Amino acid sequence: MAGGQERILRRRIKSVQSTRKITKAMELIAASQISRSQARIIANRPYRNGMRRIILEAALGDPYAAAQLLMPPDHVDSAIVLVITGDRGLSGAYNSSALRAGERLARKLEGEGASVRLVTVGKKAGAFYRFRGLDVEAGFANMSDRPTWADARRIASSLAGPFLLGEVQQVMLVSTRFLSAATQAVEVEQLLPLAMPALSEVEVPTTTKGYTEFEPEVKQLLETLAPKALESEIFSALLEGAASFHVSQQRAMAAATDNADELGQSLSRIMNRARQDSITTEIMEIVGGAEALRSGK
Amino acid sequence: MATLRVEIVTPEAPLWVGEAKALVARSTDGWFTVLPQHTDMVGDVVPSIVRVDTNEGSLSFAVHGGFFQVGPGVDEGVTQATVLAGIAENVNDIDVARAQIAKEMAEAHITADTRNEQVDGAAQLLARADLERAELRLNASNR
Repeated sequence: MAGGQERILRRRIKSVQSTRKITKAMELIAASQISRSQARIIANRPYRNGMRRIILEAALGDPYAAAQLLMPPDHVDSAIVLVITGDRGLSGAYNSSALRAGERLARKLEGEGASVRLVTVGKKAGAFYRFRGLDVEAGFANMSDRPTWADARRIASSLAGPFLLGEVQQVMLVSTRFLSAATQAVEVEQLLPLAMPALSEVEVPTTTKGYTEFEPEVKQLLETLAPKALESEIFSALLEGAASFHVSQQRAMAAATDNADELGQSLSRIMNRARQDSITTEIMEIVGGAEALRSGK
Repeated sequence: MATLRVEIVTPEAPLWVGEAKALVARSTDGWFTVLPQHTDMVGDVVPSIVRVDTNEGSLSFAVHGGFFQVGPGVDEGVTQATVLAGIAENVNDIDVARAQIAKEMAEAHITADTRNEQVDGAAQLLARADLERAELRLNASNR
């Protein structure tokens, strides 16, 4: 009977509609998180810029002492790659693009003869890299939505240790940068040795008198400054990652809601046609039956 | 007139921003005071109480380690002093009861570790850091 098909279609429409409800709710939740995570980025900016400015001052104040911490390594035997992703899926390409960029970087470093130690943030990362035969040395999770300063410190200490002991010569960061509400991009940066902040990124007042006093002297200052700067950079990366995650999720869920709308529409069109078909068939049968009865008379 | 603009900034948010007469803090080399027209200076701040003197009175902040920078401000004649601290709080906002509990817990942790003679270096360090923070908070709020 044609009624069977109609029932199946009705059930599918219902399931599409309930999926749509979920995606719509997720879209709204993500949208509400965007502004909050954006506000956190803005609140963090004075600290991050201040940190960069101090490093810059120190580097200008005693280039010789700074060179050891700031110079790119001439030879990398072993490197740590930190990949920042989200804990949850359903966020479009957010996780996979960072994960893939991390994999590319790891393969590249391995190709150059360095051994790579992976450190990841986000639940999705472990399975991804294990499947691709890369060992994850440490994985952090449950912090990608609302990263705290304590999270950043934990990650930083797990990276700074091996670097200070000389086990690794380089620490790289792969994360999604929140460039604006409309654009986010996966970027690869060098965390350690500390990348010298570009002058353009730090608003240095042009009226500097040309000399700066240091307390304590630069060499000693940099020793305590370097780990803090690392924490600061990781914290901003976490914040920007969280904001990017929410934006991608909102976008993905908006698209999913639109798709569900479209699918529901075309399904109900098919269902209506099926219903009409069954009505037409029924009428034809009645008419046919009546015809047969009449001609049989 | 020369003015001093002070910013006390933590990673989560700027804690206090405003105009001040003086900033008093302690670095590895000792206590120092920043007044308007101070020369450019960069240094660290050891865990201590940072005082900001404003026209309305003085404010105290418990700063659990950080850095500071003094330099020319954006506007003419303004000296900018920025204190960057991983953790810092206004002394008035300190929860004394909580700090007291934290202190006792950290002390219990340290004595338990030494008694068992199984000293876990990292945990020990963390407990000591907790203890230091709690003590600084208590000292700050007792003044």
